[in-house]
Amino acid sequence: MTGYLGIDVGSVSTNIVFMNEEEQVLESLYLRTQGQPIKTLQKGLKTLVRSLPVSTVIKGVGTTGSARHLSAVMVGADVVKNEITAHAVAATQQVPGVQTVLEIGGQDSKIIILRDGVVSDFAMNTVCAAGTGSFLDQQASRLGITIEEFGPQSLKTKTPVRIAGRCAVFAESDMIHKQQMGFELPDILAGLCEALVRNYLNNVGKGKEILGPAVFQGGVAANIGMRKAFEKELGLEVNIPEHYNVMGALGSALLAKEAVTKGNKTLFKGFSVAEMDFNSGSFECSGCPNLCEVIEISEEGTIIARWGDRCGKWSNALASEQVQIS
Amino acid sequence: MTTKVGIPRALLYYYYYPMWKDFFQTLGCEVVVSDKTNKSILSDGSKNCVDEACLPVKLAFGHVINLANKNVDYIFIPRLVSMAKQEYICPKFLGFPDMVKHNVENLPEIIDTTINMRLKTSEISNAYKQVGRKFTGNRFKIWQAYRKGQKSVQRLNELLLSGYMPEEAFAVMYGKEKDKLSSGGDINIAIICHPYIIHDSYISMNLIGRLEKMGANVVTADNLPEELVRQQATKLPKRLFWTLGQRMVGAGYTFVNDNNVDGVINLAAFACGPDSMTSELIDRTTKKTRKAPLLNLTLDEHTGEAGIVTRLEAFIDMVRWKKSKQLPGVALVN
Repeated sequence: MTGYLGIDVGSVSTNIVFMNEEEQVLESLYLRTQGQPIKTLQKGLKTLVRSLPVSTVIKGVGTTGSARHLSAVMVGADVVKNEITAHAVAATQQVPGVQTVLEIGGQDSKIIILRDGVVSDFAMNTVCAAGTGSFLDQQASRLGITIEEFGPQSLKTKTPVRIAGRCAVFAESDMIHKQQMGFELPDILAGLCEALVRNYLNNVGKGKEILGPAVFQGGVAANIGMRKAFEKELGLEVNIPEHYNVMGALGSALLAKEAVTKGNKTLFKGFSVAEMDFNSGSFECSGCPNLCEVIEISEEGTIIARWGDRCGKWSNALASEQVQIS
Repeated sequence: MTTKVGIPRALLYYYYYPMWKDFFQTLGCEVVVSDKTNKSILSDGSKNCVDEACLPVKLAFGHVINLANKNVDYIFIPRLVSMAKQEYICPKFLGFPDMVKHNVENLPEIIDTTINMRLKTSEISNAYKQVGRKFTGNRFKIWQAYRKGQKSVQRLNELLLSGYMPEEAFAVMYGKEKDKLSSGGDINIAIICHPYIIHDSYISMNLIGRLEKMGANVVTADNLPEELVRQQATKLPKRLFWTLGQRMVGAGYTFVNDNNVDGVINLAAFACGPDSMTSELIDRTTKKTRKAPLLNLTLDEHTGEAGIVTRLEAFIDMVRWKKSKQLPGVALVN
């Protein structure tokens, strides 16, 4: 069997997708990054290789997410893409004709507007992460429920409470206040969902023309309460694709397939990278007053990548060394 | 020993450097420009500046401090009130010499002659005469210096119109001959931004360089003729009386209606009052015309590079995708 790998290493979750030639997702993994992108990715690859037939050939690899460059140098990726493009590509494949993609992840949220299958506008949350997955996680644990119960619980509401959703800190104090006043948990949960949706639409979706078909993806799409709140606010049916929580990874697998169609051989180093010893370190360059923090990634003791220097002194030095070696 | 006059590499430097340099040199002074922005200039700036100021002013503070450490005899910070009839420059520019004098210690003498062309454009020559008298009693020499400076500014404007960026134009004017940048990119990106932000590669995170590396040809508001920008800005129901804000809006209107422009980036500085309004005006027009897609970015001294890079990459993908109707998959492999 041949296929493609898509890897999305984000702030909260690390997702890996294996897609066959027919662009069907055969395996998908959703792991918590827990601040250890290298280890988590290796763990994911180990798990994945066990579930794939031994004869599997990986023809291409794509990476995305905030650790896309890190994961790309680790595994040897054919394409490194930003999250917005990756999500848009996956959404168009899963829901043909999609015009609006609502995406809420661990620490970011974005909106992508597509027209005729092409991205025509997008926005990401700016300085504030209110209303993203991490905040919902935190609130669920404060209220003593699991994040899985959050959605179903919120559906039991009869009258959602109005909660100030502009800022995560104020939302929390407002929720505490509503609890002290005696409102029931489902009403508060539903109110929170509505507040976050309002905040998302006013902040990220400001001035965007939201038309159906609309897709809601990212980890937070698992929360049925958020979906209902979106539908209520937008007056549209909001679709949740089957692979909603690994859409970024799926998008990068699709992009990897595209990248190797011209007969390019994949740069994938093989699943053995899961067993290799990767280390990252940093140092402050004192070459000029900028004092850049340079990051070094090493594989089995050999430095394979450097970045973070503004002038390119360190990253370019490495590139020319590599040319000399090969 | 020749007198050293320091010019901060900030704010109006990008508009008037050749004027100032040639003026002072003709008067027999040595002109010293502050270093290119680096981490310590920025942090000195934000430490010493009043906290309500905008990013460009904080940055300019850093450059003044940098000059003070270079043992110059004077620092030239003209109090530019107005550059054109019935218009004003942003009030933070007017207050800048005073903010510097009251917040920075151990400064050399500040030359803060007022230039106010609001009522009479001829006021400018009076201002330079005043400055010149500090250095010589010879009126003819001052007049010569002023004429020389004016010619240099004309030359600068010609170079800008032919596609050079300000610092490149300075290099061309003062010896270090540099070839015209290649225009081999497959997409044309226009940037609407004040020159003192976009051409400061540290604070703009080398936005122009990044775009060129991604294969885009870049033009900025500085490459547009003044008359065109002004004429475009008249589309507003009421005239904007901030000269620089008017430039931004006029450039925005020009770019969004230009069929050769594939994408427009509006880069605003955090806490810049006029920017917050001009960004909105540009945004609304783009939505109406819908020709070129628009990306809004805001910079401050805490902005992380990752956020800007992700948005930039996604924007360039979108522009290419739109233009070629093909997945932008292969073009950007690192």
